[in-house]
Amino acid sequence: MKEAPEKTVANVDSALLPRDLKGVPLESRPTPGYYPGFSTLSQSAFWDHATRRVVTNRVDSTPSRQFFSAEEWDFWTVVFAHLIPQSDRTLDRQIPIVAPLDHRLFINQTVGYRFENMPQDREAYRMGHEAINKEAEHRYAAGFLALSYPQREMVLKAIHDGKPEAAADIWHTMSVHRFWQLIMGDAIDAYYAHPWAWDEIGFGGPAYPRAYTRLERGEPEPWEVEEERYDWLAPEGTVSDEVRSAAHHHTEADQHKA
Amino acid sequence: MNHKKPILGEFGLPQNGKHMLGSLQYLHAPMRKFEEKDEVDYIIVGVGAAGGILLQRLARAGFNVVGIEAGPFWDTERDWVSDEAGSHKLYWEDPRVTGGSDPLALGANNCGKGVGGGSVHWAAFTPRLHPSDFEVYTRDGVGADWPITYRDILPYYEQLELEMPVAGPAYYPWGHPHGYAYGPHPMGGVGNALIRGCSALNIPVSIGGPVAILSGSHGDRPHCIYRGFCIQGCKVGAKASTLVTHVPDALNKGAEIRDRCMVSRIELGNDRRVTGIHYFDNDGAAHFQKSKAVIVCGYAIETPRLLLNSACPGFENGLANSSGTVGRYLMAQAGNVVLGRFEQPVRMYKAPPAHALTEEFYETDPRRNFARGFAIQTVGPLPIAFGKQMLAAKKAWGWGLRREMMDYNHWAAFGLLGEILPWADNRVTLAKEKDRFGLPVAHVSFNLHDNDKRLIKFAKEKTMEVMAAAGATEVVQEARYAHLVGAARMGSDPKTSVVDKFGRTHDIANLFVCDGSIMPTQGSANPGLTIQALAARTADYLISQGTRIFNSDVRDMASPPIRRELAPPETWGKGVPRLND
Repeated sequence: MKEAPEKTVANVDSALLPRDLKGVPLESRPTPGYYPGFSTLSQSAFWDHATRRVVTNRVDSTPSRQFFSAEEWDFWTVVFAHLIPQSDRTLDRQIPIVAPLDHRLFINQTVGYRFENMPQDREAYRMGHEAINKEAEHRYAAGFLALSYPQREMVLKAIHDGKPEAAADIWHTMSVHRFWQLIMGDAIDAYYAHPWAWDEIGFGGPAYPRAYTRLERGEPEPWEVEEERYDWLAPEGTVSDEVRSAAHHHTEADQHKA
Repeated sequence: MNHKKPILGEFGLPQNGKHMLGSLQYLHAPMRKFEEKDEVDYIIVGVGAAGGILLQRLARAGFNVVGIEAGPFWDTERDWVSDEAGSHKLYWEDPRVTGGSDPLALGANNCGKGVGGGSVHWAAFTPRLHPSDFEVYTRDGVGADWPITYRDILPYYEQLELEMPVAGPAYYPWGHPHGYAYGPHPMGGVGNALIRGCSALNIPVSIGGPVAILSGSHGDRPHCIYRGFCIQGCKVGAKASTLVTHVPDALNKGAEIRDRCMVSRIELGNDRRVTGIHYFDNDGAAHFQKSKAVIVCGYAIETPRLLLNSACPGFENGLANSSGTVGRYLMAQAGNVVLGRFEQPVRMYKAPPAHALTEEFYETDPRRNFARGFAIQTVGPLPIAFGKQMLAAKKAWGWGLRREMMDYNHWAAFGLLGEILPWADNRVTLAKEKDRFGLPVAHVSFNLHDNDKRLIKFAKEKTMEVMAAAGATEVVQEARYAHLVGAARMGSDPKTSVVDKFGRTHDIANLFVCDGSIMPTQGSANPGLTIQALAARTADYLISQGTRIFNSDVRDMASPPIRRELAPPETWGKGVPRLND
């Protein structure tokens, strides 16, 4: 397995970088997170053949565009850069999200059910594209891609909050929170399926046939590493760093209500 | 860090030409093939948790039996991976529509596809139902009574706990107290948190099981290696699925499995008896297989869908549906996941997700404002599942999601398992849209009622209390559902149920249903063990009837004795502790 180079590649805009507690931008890194030097792929010789093939394929070959139009591809690339931002990763170590999504939609792979207040996934992406652009026009009199970074965040936050102000006709036939669940689900499916994300969060990854042996106290295997935490702030002006612990609800249907 | 390679070189391709079922076991002989013009004794629709047991028992008793399975006949070395995203084919991905006031997630959440069915991707918790579960209506005036008692199913619980086998503590205090013949598993970080939280609140807790996961090697199945990918299919072969426990013996005894074949309709003859089934093979070609009797084992959605799609003159509302209850009384359990963040790392991806639980809140408590109860169990979400929990529980996205995920190793997760009662309006019907074979897909409608909501609220708060008592500095939760049962329930009254106490449809003497869909209530136990125990019981009944099922409409309602000698070899006769008979 080839190792990614440890060099830092210049990033786009330092204003989009996470910062240390003094507000100084943190340089992009091949592997952000608290497990320096950890590499699940370095252990792939210990994995079974089928697993090694599936995981290394994911890293080595990114599917090319087959479903989205070029315009849709560019649009969703920008949207997903907000849903799972990667400016703290060097460019050569950013994890593809739109490509596996495009492939999923091309082969029409689904989760095996559709909510009755949702269209088919392919249609949901087409309608979502239109609705996000309409929200951008409504708020800032320009298409989504023409907006500034903070403006785009506010458009997406309106959908996250379940409170879009435009495109009522679309949201009448497509549940806004199920749509949010769909696009975030696709983002999570792609990003956290990637071994570079496993390195970031300290997940040990495949362990057949070798086994895990240190079960009890959260301690690393000999081939894992200890956590080394550091404090960091999200990029200045981002609104996506806020979380809201929703413990008051107790049913799934109430989970999305503000 | 250790970058060394294994001493014997990289782990290579599986052994050439062998169909592997786990890392050691493989199929020995070519499978018997029946001709379509042969009238076989039994067709089993769906070779899952129940279908796999029936196939094995009926073949061993000498019947000609064919299992028709919509999904693949897995070769576990070739087809399965230690990878969340790469395991989606284990789940039912064909289209369905879900709705109602409280729509259920389906697919990976509760529906398997392929030989072994849901037993391939279950977490393998195997608690029994309690004696009270069989008389919920009598005791509490809600739900329904079963047409059998705990005593009827007890020998089958004991039997299947040996056949799987189940690992667990020597003393299990709830329901009908009992012990397990195979030793409990060591604790992972999540189990330790559950023990800590329960102990602080003086709540008894079961440690190291009961789970159908091998704590020691057993024949040609090795012990658990604690890799954490239970619900992605156990490549090791340590976790029980009918694919590794019963299917090999079934094939050795002359059963056939036709995989990647989708049954479209059950054919009814002129004498109100079924004559066989229509199905499509993987290339879309239509076939008809004749048989003397049919057993539908398609689980709580596909079973009612097939009966409804088999509507015909005399059964315009669906085959065996004179009661109108086919598709009704569908149940899922409340499955809220409570997540706690700890200062010290937990690394919850190690150890089986299922390894400790408490049933202290299982029974109706008159001091509470709802009937029935719940269990609290360990779960061990891997990164993708955990990400979606952070999305639901903390509304995390963007940088917030990245930050929460970097703390993955600090979180532990408990799942509550709460009993939701059977309601007539929770049902499977046919949708307008069709699948690739042109068959109407299932529409699932699910609605919580007041008792359910009060139970979930209490259970969620209690589980959060336990997580906090374990030392979590932050406790959040995701509301969700787990498991599916009901929708073709058993009962004594043909006007209010689909099948009798042996799984025979009230309407048609040679048509049976045997899977989770026949359960009238569900308790707060994971349904897998009960589904397999019911299948073994139905098998004993069918075998005791000999050929009478094939040529007579007379119903013998006497329960036959258990036939332990029909178990796969080396799985019975080892004794099981019975602490309080």
